Amino acid sequence: MDLHVFFKALEGSAAATTIRDSLLWFPLLEALHVMALAVVFGSIVVVDLRALGLTSRSRLFSRVASDTLRWTWSAFVAACVTGALMFITNAEVYAANTFFRVKMLLLLLAGLNMLLFQLTAGRRVAHWDASPAAPGIGKWAAALSLALWLSIICMGRLIGFTITGAASHEPPPASIDFDDFLSGPPAQ
Amino acid sequence: MEAFAQWLEATPASLSMQQHQAWFIPAVQTLHIIAIALAAGSVLLVCLRLFGLAAADQSVQQTHARYGGWIKASLWSLLASGALLIVAEPVRELVTFSFWVKMVLVVCVVSLVAAFGRYVRKAAAVDQAITPATRCLAALTLLLLMAIIVLGRLIAYDHVWGSLSPATKA
Repeated sequence: MDLHVFFKALEGSAAATTIRDSLLWFPLLEALHVMALAVVFGSIVVVDLRALGLTSRSRLFSRVASDTLRWTWSAFVAACVTGALMFITNAEVYAANTFFRVKMLLLLLAGLNMLLFQLTAGRRVAHWDASPAAPGIGKWAAALSLALWLSIICMGRLIGFTITGAASHEPPPASIDFDDFLSGPPAQ
Repeated sequence: MEAFAQWLEATPASLSMQQHQAWFIPAVQTLHIIAIALAAGSVLLVCLRLFGLAAADQSVQQTHARYGGWIKASLWSLLASGALLIVAEPVRELVTFSFWVKMVLVVCVVSLVAAFGRYVRKAAAVDQAITPATRCLAALTLLLLMAIIVLGRLIAYDHVWGSLSPATKA
């Protein structure tokens, strides 16, 4: 299916229309998205800092990870759902937004990085569980994870500023249709 | 308050931030969100310990020793970044209903967190720090944090409060 048709179909869906027509839905989704990302990032930091050997050095890595993992994943699902619901209200404009695209790319990289950690240090966790830090590549993956998630948060905030143009003096990109602009969320 | 916000908006500090607002506001808001994540993550893990859902191998004291400093540091960062946002956009922040309700809840959460810190330091035995009342206060703290996040976002949409919002009256 043509992407343009697909995005238009998303924008025309009942869910998208309900959110767009409501004063409260969009801000509420944003707030839930912030809550979800706070738990995602807040819990990832705990594990990454342990892997880097900066905190909880005397606790088993697997114990620190088991404290947080299910919260990270549940919150990540919540962030995806709330993010998707915001996306469909103005799908074509979001999809054309550079910050949105970079954010999606960074999310993909964060996923691949997590896979890298699992396939390297994660596999041999029994050997280093009690050591103060993860070995070799695991440490690099933890540092990269922090950098990626910080950038993801940064991109996320910039999407809000560029889509509404509220704080930007630059003209909107040519791909933005003014009808989309007006029907979109009213504030930053 | 509106007069104060307008005065603040005309101060040199505010004016210089307004000059660079295209990058300054998103940058400080991003720092504010990162600090929210650190505060929420740390408070959540201490509360989970109190509920018996995490760190069963650690005492409440040990868990608090691990996250207490992070909670304090992130709360100070929130105060600092929040203050910068107020100076940069006084009317957007101060002339809203959401902001002031948020501030009341922030005072409640900070008091709860500080009182819990003192309580944990005083409690001599390992599990003395957990009583049903402590668990209720932990749950309340989490609920307040969620409400604070919602209100923080609603500052940008204060019109949802209708006549309660001074922005709507203006």
